[in-house]
Amino acid sequence: MSGCPGSRTIDFSEKTNQEGSETGKRPSQLRQWPIQMHLVSPHAPYFQGKDILLAADCTAFALGDFHKDYLKGKSIGIACPKLDSDQEVYVEKIKSLIDDAKINTLTVIIMQVPCCFGLAQIAKEGAEKASRKIPVKQVVVGLEGNILSEEWI
Amino acid sequence: MDNVLNKEIKEIIEACPEVGRILDEYGIGCVPCSVGSCLLKDVVGIHNLDPEREATLMYRIEKAIYPDRDVPKPVVDATKKAAPKKISYSPPVKKLVDEHVLIKRLLALIPTIVDYIESSLNVDKDLILRCVDFIRTYADKYHHMKEEDILFKYVDENAEIIQIMYKDHDTGRDHIRQVVEGAEKGNKAQIREHLLGYRELLTQHIKKEDEILYPWIDRQLSTTQVGEMFRRCNEADASVGDELPRKYEKFIAELEEKFLQEVTK
Ligand SMILES: [Fe+2]
Ligand SMILES: [Fe+2]
Repeated sequence: MSGCPGSRTIDFSEKTNQEGSETGKRPSQLRQWPIQMHLVSPHAPYFQGKDILLAADCTAFALGDFHKDYLKGKSIGIACPKLDSDQEVYVEKIKSLIDDAKINTLTVIIMQVPCCFGLAQIAKEGAEKASRKIPVKQVVVGLEGNILSEEWI
Repeated sequence: MDNVLNKEIKEIIEACPEVGRILDEYGIGCVPCSVGSCLLKDVVGIHNLDPEREATLMYRIEKAIYPDRDVPKPVVDATKKAAPKKISYSPPVKKLVDEHVLIKRLLALIPTIVDYIESSLNVDKDLILRCVDFIRTYADKYHHMKEEDILFKYVDENAEIIQIMYKDHDTGRDHIRQVVEGAEKGNKAQIREHLLGYRELLTQHIKKEDEILYPWIDRQLSTTQVGEMFRRCNEADASVGDELPRKYEKFIAELEEKFLQEVTK
């Protein structure tokens, strides 16, 4: 076991405890386009006064109920703090979301791997630069789609 | 067990005092409660015990009420120690918890202040009135009003715990009226009784809020409500200005300086 935990190969295909139900259709909770942080504009109408979810790309695939439990009722921006370039732009956009779009809250959802905490850092920096203050929450998702922590920061 | 869950706690404890002792062991202090109309299920729910502790508690209560009943004992993993729960507050609630700190600093000084009043020839009316001003303006107008006008509105205001909080706020106001009357008349015994009464009341009140009420409210708030409450509390703070909390922090610091010197003299 060595190297970056963010890209280390782990296979949990043998996992058998599949609690929960697969019955019924779950509708998408996405209410906007685009969603990638480089593509979205803080001035888009779907951000104004809203609760925002800043999601690390992988979280949507790791969490079985991403739409129902986290996206529902929120507007979203997605990013990868490990691979995306020009991340200073993200800090500015967060600041603008808070000051100009006057968003209500910001929830940052990241994977447990260390490099993913970079996205929480970006959110914090943006929030600190903003002159308005809003509640910021951090949710950490385990590799197997479990919630490791959820707290206001 | 279901019908017991829906009974008022006072009734249960009256019929079976052992239940009161068991609850007490779990840090649930229903016995001295003046009202006691909470339902057993709400009493247990509000304390947010971990599932194993809750199962054991319910088992013991059922056994105490129905000793002859064959109640299955919950399996408890003894190797799993209940981790001390660190309370994590939402930002607007955290701000209220932080305000308690300044109020508690005054409460800590009250016994010394009372002794000082007792031992001085004339009642230091100015000192009493400045403490009363802190209590009325900072603790009551600035802090309690945010609770009453904003925080409590996010939950069922008829819930017994909220009614008790309102009652505590009112009882506190009565004590302070008596303190002022004592200061006007130079009645040291009256000042003493009601300042100490206020201290006792608020100490318990703040403990209830920090440990039980606030976490219970926080668990019910949606993310949207947290954001909205944060904004409304900030607006309420802005309407009185930044000066107000700063002025009272300075007042408490000066009071501490004066009375810490009194003690060491
Ligand atoms: Fe209160
Ligand atoms: Fe309070």
